[in-house]
Amino acid sequence: MALVLDYVALETRRTLRDTGFVIFGIGMPVLMYLLFTNIGGGADSEWKTASMIGMATYGALGAALSAGTGVAEDKSLGWLRQLRITPMTPAQVVVGRALTASVVVLPAILAVLAVGGLINGVSMAVWQWAVVVLLLWFGSLPFTLLGIGNGYRLSAQSTGVVNVGCNLGFSILGGLWFPMQFFPGWIQGIGTYTPTRAVSELGTALGRGEAPGVLAVVVLLGWLLIFGSYAVVSYRKAARTA
Amino acid sequence: MTKTTPPGPAVRFDAATKAFGAVRAVDGLDLELKPGQTTALLGRNGAGKSTTIGLLLGLDQPDTGSVRLFGGAPARAVQAGRVGAMLQDGRPIPRVTVRELVGFVAKTYPRAMPLDEALDLAGIGEFGARRADRLSGGQIQRVRFAIALVGDPDLVVLDEPTAALDVEARRALWDSMRRFAARGKTVLFSTHYLTEADENASRIVVIDRGRIVADGSGDQLRRAAGGNLVSFDLAGRPSEGLSLLPGVTEVEIRGDRARLRTDDSDATVVALAQRNAVRGLEVAPATLEDAFLRLTDPDARPAAARMEENV
Repeated sequence: MALVLDYVALETRRTLRDTGFVIFGIGMPVLMYLLFTNIGGGADSEWKTASMIGMATYGALGAALSAGTGVAEDKSLGWLRQLRITPMTPAQVVVGRALTASVVVLPAILAVLAVGGLINGVSMAVWQWAVVVLLLWFGSLPFTLLGIGNGYRLSAQSTGVVNVGCNLGFSILGGLWFPMQFFPGWIQGIGTYTPTRAVSELGTALGRGEAPGVLAVVVLLGWLLIFGSYAVVSYRKAARTA
Repeated sequence: MTKTTPPGPAVRFDAATKAFGAVRAVDGLDLELKPGQTTALLGRNGAGKSTTIGLLLGLDQPDTGSVRLFGGAPARAVQAGRVGAMLQDGRPIPRVTVRELVGFVAKTYPRAMPLDEALDLAGIGEFGARRADRLSGGQIQRVRFAIALVGDPDLVVLDEPTAALDVEARRALWDSMRRFAARGKTVLFSTHYLTEADENASRIVVIDRGRIVADGSGDQLRRAAGGNLVSFDLAGRPSEGLSLLPGVTEVEIRGDRARLRTDDSDATVVALAQRNAVRGLEVAPATLEDAFLRLTDPDARPAAARMEENV
């Protein structure tokens, strides 16, 4: 386990030194949150909370997917192959990668929530803040698995493109940027079953102090299973060739 | 573990084959490497060197036959930290320093050498704080060499370590390799540079079309290639009958100069002296290049072997 943590430390360092990651992965959700809640005379406090959850989810989604881009990059550099001839086992490598993604989603989540609390005046009980952070953190796991699945399955270039596509699609359909009510009914229907919608809905409910909806929990667990299987299948396929 | 090297071979291939589609990349390979030996795997591009190394490291499984490292499966030797390798075409991951990168690999091995020792051995002690991906080609190869040796493994495998390096960087890398081998390590490297194999390995295994076509020291290979080359000026004399001289196996006339390949250069020279033909005489050993070209010449192969391939 110590070895896995060494690997996580190395990978986290690499990620946080990536200017692109810091600007787009952390700065972008914060900037969008500030813009969408303060433009045109400002928003009501309900939208400030909902958008905070949405943008934090958006940031976590982007950071988690970027972990997959890292996998694809390492594959093309021959680094995954190099790791295979160290005593580190393939399982340790995958677990290390997933843990890294879980670490690097935190700055975006925390930055957006901090801006919400300190600048936009979102007020919640301490336990609510804590539960929301935990929920967003856990809720980013399906995205991590999706990103890792893409990274093992695709080339570095296609992983980048596919990840951007997943990022935009899930963000918009999940209502992370604009409230779902602005969309036509059939898009809202699809949106209900997206993992991003499930996470933001659960977060918003907790932010309001309400019990989370059962459907959202089921949807999120369903995606966890789907993307988890996808990651395992992709990894097995890559292990034979990479 | 350091001094109690087991008596068995470090590496053992038994009739190993590996095909990719219709191409038999490794075609019935038998090979045994003794601990502490430095061996060159010499062959043209596409001869099967990298596939052989992939099998050896357990990155690929042989279709038939077996590959053993230190008496066990390659994966077991890798897990035990007894193997280090520098693969072909690998590049260092971005945004980490040399120390961070090599230091991380050291942590994956149970008996790694001190980081500074590894960096010094690879000749990159002064680059420790630099970002690995921003170094020059030669420096990057040395970083990759440091990655291969930092775990203090018993066996180090280098797949074309000097490809695309300039002369100076190449020499520096071989110096490092020899210093590491001098610690009693088993080293296997692949190359398509004959002089590199000759200068840095005590044993050269020539591989072609996935098979071993020659195995021995550089001198043994040269001898096997057909002795020496005797050349002299014809000075306007006819060249007839030269092929009948003792020892001569091949005659080549270039302008006014005759070049005789001979199994017995002494007898050939004596015969030439008797014919009073000694003008600008030169006797040179066949080069390793001659040996290599003959061993891997498609036209020089036995017909049976070629037919078998076409089936």
